Amino acid sequence: TIHLEDSTIQSSLSPEEARRVWSHYETVTRDLSLSLTEQLRLILAPTLATKMRGDFRTGKRLNIKRIIPYIASQYKRDKIWMRRSVPSKRSYQIMLAVDDSRSMGESGSGQLAFETLALVSKSLSMLEVGEISVVGFGNTVRVAHEFDKPFTNEAGVRILEQFGFQQTKTDVRKLISESINLFREARNQSSGAGTELWQLQLIISDGICEDHDTIRRLVRQAQEERIMIVFIIIDALRGSSIMDMTQAKFEADSTGSMKVKMERYLDGFPFGYYLVVSNVRELPIVFSTALRQWFAEVVDASG
Amino acid sequence: MSTDPTVAAESPPGAQVKVQFITSHADISLPENTGPILVPTHLRRYGLSSIINHLLASEKPIPFDFLIAGAFLRTSLDEYLTANGLSSESILTLEYVRSLIPPLYLASF
Ligand SMILES: [Mg+2]
Repeated sequence: TIHLEDSTIQSSLSPEEARRVWSHYETVTRDLSLSLTEQLRLILAPTLATKMRGDFRTGKRLNIKRIIPYIASQYKRDKIWMRRSVPSKRSYQIMLAVDDSRSMGESGSGQLAFETLALVSKSLSMLEVGEISVVGFGNTVRVAHEFDKPFTNEAGVRILEQFGFQQTKTDVRKLISESINLFREARNQSSGAGTELWQLQLIISDGICEDHDTIRRLVRQAQEERIMIVFIIIDALRGSSIMDMTQAKFEADSTGSMKVKMERYLDGFPFGYYLVVSNVRELPIVFSTALRQWFAEVVDASG
Repeated sequence: MSTDPTVAAESPPGAQVKVQFITSHADISLPENTGPILVPTHLRRYGLSSIINHLLASEKPIPFDFLIAGAFLRTSLDEYLTANGLSSESILTLEYVRSLIPPLYLASF
C-alpha cells in the first residue's frame, strides 16, 4: 500500500474532537444511512441470487425459446429445461476518495463531505458486502483507511483526524492514477479463487479539477480494468452552483489570433458517472440510483 | 510562464482559478447572475480584458484594468497568487475599471 508523506497535511482535530465530531456525523446521518442500506440491499440482492439458465434434458423450468425448435426437430432437440445455476460468489472493494483540498474548506463543502463519508461508509459496512478503504487527496494521495482493516467506529474517528482541507492543489489526475495502482494491489491480495471481484471508487469532492483530457484517459483505463468510478460532486458553494459554473478558454481562430470561448464547466467534466448533491438528504436516492444503473450495466455485460 | 504580453498561447492542461468579476460602473457591469468563472492563471490584464469584452459582447474592445484587494494587477494571476501566498483553491474577486491612462503615459511617470 502506498503511503505518501506530505508536510502540508496537518490534522486539524485532536483525537477527542475527532471522536465527538464523528459521532455527531453518525448521529445526523443515522436515518439516512439506514435508508441507503435498505436501498443498496435491494440493489445487491438480485446480483447475489441464483439464475435459471441453460439447456438440459431434465430440469426445473421449461425454456420457452426451445419449445418450437423441439417440435420442429421431431422432438429430437430435447434440451428444453433450465436449471438453477450455482450462484457466483461476488465480493466488493469500495474506495471512498475524499477531497482534502482548501477549496473544500472555503466553500463549506467539507462538512457535507464528512456527512457523506459517514453516511456512505456506515451503510456499506452495515451491508457487509466487502472491503472499504478511504483515501484523501489534494496535492498528494494518502490512504486514511486500508481495504483489509475492519470499518469500525474507531476507524471512522481515525479517518477524520487525517482531514484538514488545507491542501493547496486538487490533483484529480494523480488521484485516479494512484487509485488504479491501489486497486490492482487490492485485487492481487483479495482471497478466493473463483470469486468475482467488483471494484468501485466513489470520489467525494467539490468537483473543481484541471487537466480534463488526461483524467478522461485515466478513467477509461480504470474502466478497462473493471474499476467503476462514480464522482459525487458536493455543491455547497455559497451563492452559485457548479451547475452554472463557466470556464474561459482561449482558442486560436483562423487568423491565428486568440479568441475567448466560454464553456459550461460540467460540459467538459471528465467523469461519465457523476452526481451533484447540495444536501446530504438527497444522497441516498441519487447514490442508489447511480449504483443501480451501474449494477444493471455490469450484470447485463456479464450476461 | 510565457513572457508574451498578449494572451499566452499555452494550451491546456493549465492551472485555473475561480474568479468573481465585479465593477462599480453600471454601463460595463456583467449580467447580475454571472457567477465565478474558471480562468487560466497565466492570464494578465490583457487576457482578462478579452474575457470581460467577450462577456459584454462589446463591438470595440475596451481596455480594462483590474484591482485585487484595492491594488492594480500588474502581473499574471499566477504571479499574484504566488507573491501573496495564495493558492488557486481560493476564489479571487477581481474589480475591473476602464483603463484611463494609456500604458506609455503611465510608464513615463
Ligand atoms: Mg479543490
